[in-house]
Amino acid sequence: MELVYAICVGFMSACGIFLMLRGHTFTLVIGLTLLSYAVNLFLFASGGLTIGEPAVLSSSENYADPLPQALVLTAIVIGFAMTAFAVILAMRGRADLGSDHVDGIEPFDPLAEEKS
Amino acid sequence: MHYFWVPFLPMFGIIVPLLANKLNRSACTLATALLPALALGLIFLDLPAVLAGESFSQSVDWIPQLGLSLSFRLDGLAALFSILILGIGLLVILYARYYLSEKDNMGYFYSYLIMFMTAMLGIVMSNNMLQLWFFWELTSISSFLLIGFWSHNSDARKGARMALTITGAGGLALLAGIILLGQVVGSYELDVVLNSGELVKQSPYYIAILSLFLIGAFTKSAQFPFHFWLPHAMAAPTPVSAYLHSATMVKAGIFLLARFYPVLAGTETWFVVVSLTGLFTLLLGAYTALFKHDLKGLLAYSTISHLGLIVLLLGLNTELAAIAAIFHIMNHAVFKASLFMAAGIIDHESGSRDMRKINGLLKYMPITATLAMVASASMAGVPLLNGFLSKEMFFAETLEQSILGAMSWLIPVLATIAGAFSVAYSLRFIHDVFFNGEPKGLTKTPHEPPRYMRVPVEILVTICLLVGIFPNYTIGPLLESTSLAVLNHELPEYSLSIWHGFNLPLLMSGLAATGGVAIYLNRKHLFKFAGMFPDIDAKIVFESCIQAAVAWAQKVNMKLENGSLQRYAFCLCFFALLLIAPPLFDLDTTRGSLPETPINGAVLVAAILIIAGSLATIIWSHYRLIALLMLSLVGLVVSITFAYFSAPDLALTQLSVEIVTVILLLLALYFFPQQTPTSKSRPSHFVRDLTVASFIGCIIGAICFALMTHPLDSISEFFLANSKTGGGGTNVVNVILVDFRGFDTFGEITVLGIAALGIHKLIARMRLSMRTKDYDGRLWAKDKYPVLLSVVSQSLLPLFLLISAYIFMRGHNLPGGGFIAGLITSIALIQQYLAHGVDWMEKRVNVSYHYMIAAGLTIAGLTGLGSWIFGRPFLTSWFEYVSLPWIGKFELASALVFDIGVYFTVIGATLLILASLGKLTTKDRLTVGER
Amino acid sequence: MSLFDHLVIFPVLIPFFVAVVMLFPRLNNSLSAQRIVAVATNLLMVVVAFALLFRVEEQGIQTYVLGDWSAPFGIVLVADLFSVLMVCLSAILGLAVTLYATGGEDRTGAFFYSLIMFQVMGINGAFLTGDAFNLFVFFEVLLIASYSLMIHGGGKHRTQANIHYVFLNLIGSSLFLFGLGTLYGTLGTLNFADMADRVPLLSSNELLIAKSGALLLLAVFGLKAAMLPLHFWLPKAYSATSTPVAALFAIMTKVGIYSIWRVHGVIFGDQAGELANIALPWLWPIALLTIVAGSIALLASKSLRVLCSNLVIVSVGTLLITISLNTVQATAAGIYYLLHSTVACAAMFLLAGLIQQQRGQAEDRFVAARAMSQSGILGFIFALLAIALIGMPPLSGFVGKALILQSVTVASQAMWVFPILLGGGLIALIALSRAGTSLFWKTTGANTSALKGHPNQYLAIGLLVAILPLMVIFGGTVSDYAQLAAEQLKSGLSLQQLNEVTK
Repeated sequence: MELVYAICVGFMSACGIFLMLRGHTFTLVIGLTLLSYAVNLFLFASGGLTIGEPAVLSSSENYADPLPQALVLTAIVIGFAMTAFAVILAMRGRADLGSDHVDGIEPFDPLAEEKS
Repeated sequence: MHYFWVPFLPMFGIIVPLLANKLNRSACTLATALLPALALGLIFLDLPAVLAGESFSQSVDWIPQLGLSLSFRLDGLAALFSILILGIGLLVILYARYYLSEKDNMGYFYSYLIMFMTAMLGIVMSNNMLQLWFFWELTSISSFLLIGFWSHNSDARKGARMALTITGAGGLALLAGIILLGQVVGSYELDVVLNSGELVKQSPYYIAILSLFLIGAFTKSAQFPFHFWLPHAMAAPTPVSAYLHSATMVKAGIFLLARFYPVLAGTETWFVVVSLTGLFTLLLGAYTALFKHDLKGLLAYSTISHLGLIVLLLGLNTELAAIAAIFHIMNHAVFKASLFMAAGIIDHESGSRDMRKINGLLKYMPITATLAMVASASMAGVPLLNGFLSKEMFFAETLEQSILGAMSWLIPVLATIAGAFSVAYSLRFIHDVFFNGEPKGLTKTPHEPPRYMRVPVEILVTICLLVGIFPNYTIGPLLESTSLAVLNHELPEYSLSIWHGFNLPLLMSGLAATGGVAIYLNRKHLFKFAGMFPDIDAKIVFESCIQAAVAWAQKVNMKLENGSLQRYAFCLCFFALLLIAPPLFDLDTTRGSLPETPINGAVLVAAILIIAGSLATIIWSHYRLIALLMLSLVGLVVSITFAYFSAPDLALTQLSVEIVTVILLLLALYFFPQQTPTSKSRPSHFVRDLTVASFIGCIIGAICFALMTHPLDSISEFFLANSKTGGGGTNVVNVILVDFRGFDTFGEITVLGIAALGIHKLIARMRLSMRTKDYDGRLWAKDKYPVLLSVVSQSLLPLFLLISAYIFMRGHNLPGGGFIAGLITSIALIQQYLAHGVDWMEKRVNVSYHYMIAAGLTIAGLTGLGSWIFGRPFLTSWFEYVSLPWIGKFELASALVFDIGVYFTVIGATLLILASLGKLTTKDRLTVGER
Repeated sequence: MSLFDHLVIFPVLIPFFVAVVMLFPRLNNSLSAQRIVAVATNLLMVVVAFALLFRVEEQGIQTYVLGDWSAPFGIVLVADLFSVLMVCLSAILGLAVTLYATGGEDRTGAFFYSLIMFQVMGINGAFLTGDAFNLFVFFEVLLIASYSLMIHGGGKHRTQANIHYVFLNLIGSSLFLFGLGTLYGTLGTLNFADMADRVPLLSSNELLIAKSGALLLLAVFGLKAAMLPLHFWLPKAYSATSTPVAALFAIMTKVGIYSIWRVHGVIFGDQAGELANIALPWLWPIALLTIVAGSIALLASKSLRVLCSNLVIVSVGTLLITISLNTVQATAAGIYYLLHSTVACAAMFLLAGLIQQQRGQAEDRFVAARAMSQSGILGFIFALLAIALIGMPPLSGFVGKALILQSVTVASQAMWVFPILLGGGLIALIALSRAGTSLFWKTTGANTSALKGHPNQYLAIGLLVAILPLMVIFGGTVSDYAQLAAEQLKSGLSLQQLNEVTK
């Protein structure tokens, strides 16, 4: 089962990174989300996999490693915040630059900056 | 000891002119001159001892780590140069008072001048190499300011920049040399360094050190091939030329050679490099000087050639030559300074420096003329003048060497030729300017300068005469002590007399004189000859070199920074790949010792769904809506996966985040084209990206597998053990979040809050043009808020709130907690937004959400601070079981309060994001104004 | 536990609470009140930072055990000589930036001071934390704050630059988590000290996995530090954003450098057994190439702010050299140079802002334009900063450069470092002298506008510029401190020592 799990994680991260390398903001956002799924699964698995033994204290004597779960929770929240920001930034980019390409339409030139 | 204060007096003097600038010119001049004069006085106080052959040094620690100490010495060499610097400096100050016009800012000028004076004194009196370098660079900076003083004219700007660049480069080389030398010797103090000459010459670094030092010296002293900056520095006001470019700064390089003579000199390399450079510069300068029509140009090149002469002497490696060199340093400083001043006067009073215009000035300014003629006679080396003596010694020494083996006789011959040329250009200076008919096309009629403008020249010329006639009484003692300092051991026999009887040197002088006259008489042909060569303006060459370099840099930079995110992102991923791949290649197997859990159908299905989903997301990434659906499918499976692998909290969180994210993306999609234009990305990039992405995927997968199959002894046991007893909760994950690692959560909600603020910032200034139709050209639905939806959602709201409350309360002991509860509540509220629209909601819920964020963060923060009251660190948790009638026993925990903070932050953030986005969507369909 | 025992966490908590308070109605609605609060807070921060510094100097390493859960189980803040020095630096920078912003730049968008405060909180947290995952959290705090600050004032170029900056760093953050997961999965702990203890004990297989995890972190920190080939985002980002933000960002790259020092210089440093100094083989060429690339870009710069950005890159390369040299001497030199370059670059960014204000359409480009209304004072400051940045006496630049050159003792290393470092200096000299002459001397016609810089803006710049000569005059003290900090850093800190300190 670990093998299958690992394959999934690897595959998702590959897809995520590939999408992050595309040229349009919306695609990047999707890629980012996909990548963060992969990251979370990866981080989660770093403590090993356990079935049916949640880290909620009860009679059972061995539990899933709770620490990675806590880390993943934090990671999810932060990931959510980042994704949200990225989405809105993408919209702002489209609004300001009139295009949703990551480089805008015209090549950037720091010297011809307008007063803002 | 008095001398220790000598460099400091001018240092304070730097600000004096700026303060005195308000006063009238003479007062300002006096004020400026005061401190240098004082310094000169101090030198003379210590002079007797120095002349007696003593040398003093004292030092105070400054930056021990660096080996830099505040350390000054006074020996013959230092004394000689200090006297030159201060003495001539004072004369220049007086001179400048009359030279500068009303327009020029006298205060600044004097201030720069004194800054330079300080720096020079620092160089010559330093007893610590790093400190010497410190002042060395200061001279470059202050001379940059002085040359560029008339910044309005472009020659001055370019000249200044060129001088700075060349000397600055030399300075850097010198620094490297000094540090190497310091590492070899083990100290930067000159007392030590000067006495470890042998050690240095043995060391393998000797050549490196020597060449670095020579680059430093030659750039500063305008030796070939670095000589070209000096003539262009003549764009400076003449007092500056008189001071920096004849007497002092250009001598700094020579000072360096003299100072380190005991350490670096005496080897074959030194001999060849130094003397040949000197010789070539000597000839080049003397020859070029003759053809310069600009008075200052002529003087500049003659300076170059005289510097070459001194360098040549130092290079000859004989003690007498060194003494001759020192002697010539003094003489040249004196006569050249006076000549520059004279040139300045002529320029000032006749309005031109072009020797083709200014002729026959003798009858207009007889006194100045006489002075200038005496000085230039000294430059030519006419007997009874100081120039003559040192030149005699020079000729004598050229006979005493064997650089070129059998061809060594060339040296004296070339020296004589150079001598002849210097006679020639001195003649030209005298004849063209003061005789040779009438002035042509001058703007004003020349006349004598103000009385005191001439005084400095008079003084200097008098010195020329005195030294020339009574060398032993005037200069003898100082020369002796200086030579002692340079050679660092007892002196050989030498005599300073005008008459040594008929000998070879005298003959050479004679030849030089007659040759010079001959050259001058036939100058017509020579000028024609020289005219055949294109005259290269170093300034232009230099500038174009810089320009070329800049252009090249811009081309390269364009190639590197092409402004494409895809390139940059690829660099990042590829670099990461390069870093993480190699270790795994050394790994024989990723499979660890742990047994694999058997696979079952459910998992397989999930896996297939994930892979298919991700694949579909990529394949249909152009059809954004579909991609989005596929993505959410994957997200769903992921959260199920969490649930399956005993992480209920994760499952819940992932699920709720999933929902919110999808809503967000859907809203956003409304503003984006529904399809991504395919044409943009090049196929080659496509392949490139695919390759690197899949490689990274493989590696991540491999590592993931390895981690799962390796046994791990982790700190988690502790959490399981202490969660109930220490954290008062049975849901260990939640206890970790709010207690063990509460600080992470603290940071996490902060991130969420900041993100919301940032998004608010983004949206506030966003101007989007809305579409009246969707992208398939259909009009938007008429009824914005379907009744059914609104009714249902409204009735569901209480239920949702109840659920979230429940989830929240159980969080500490069972899966749940503030974050999930917060998200559920937000989802419920968002639903209301969707159902009834922003305006309807704003009527009912009139809280500004960023206040809610603030409130949430404050609650969390204050909970953390609460523990201070009990003398515990931030975020220390507290819990108690209390039992009330009817309700029964229940737990009160500070963690719960903390979780309330989380709860509100989450709601605030989520709604701030979605509501403000919603506002955009439901605003006037045509344009959205700034809120 | 007296209030002073909480001193360590103050640099994180003060900005947090002030930032939050400034969101509440009363302050949120009055900019003038925000200004007063912000400046006052930053003054307080400086006081606190230095109080902490002296405390650490007297009593040695200070720790703060959050939630009273001792390491390695809880999160521990560790204030040693190095981290506390960085905190002081960020405090001073924060003060200068806030002062400058009160000159008017704060009007152009919402939540400015809150965000600045959050940014400072994140930076200080990153410096102080002794826990790997907590480091990630604070990285995110400072990143999200910087994302929001970068678009402050609006304008398409800021949006454009921000898109690049944000998406690159998002990839970076994902990689960070991969790295952390790998390290946790092999070491089973997150506390730096504990990790350092466990690294040498790894079995051969886990060893290699941990290695790739650690190197992945190098890529992440490298992105933050803007080292080659991950530096491309920097010039655009720094030159596009608003002046005070750019100045504050001057310390952001240093956070990356700092983390490399902490993680690859100590945890995977000399004591790491099999995994000792795994980053060095990579860092050597990268450091040198970063300087080369930076210098080329420096020569190519067409505007002052772009030039500053490239100076930042060169300084990063120089710092990487000191890391690669991997001796106490070099580290000390690096620490000194880090202080100098951060302050000088920040000051130059602020100055560029003023220059831009006063040159109308020409802004800060190197073209002939009308004279500035305050060209005298501006030119003077420019000259000082240029001297400092080139590394010429009498300002702190030369001490840093000389210290670094001195710390190169092996001939084979000197062969590379000397020419590149000094050549870089020469190029900086050429670039800056060109910049200066064209900005201040090459003027067409007299100045027409009476536009003057706000006194506070000059105060801010003055504050930073004043530090440069002080760092020379008291160079002995500073460099001695750097020496001690370097020794402490290099000697490392085991979990046992950590817990002893905590007792």
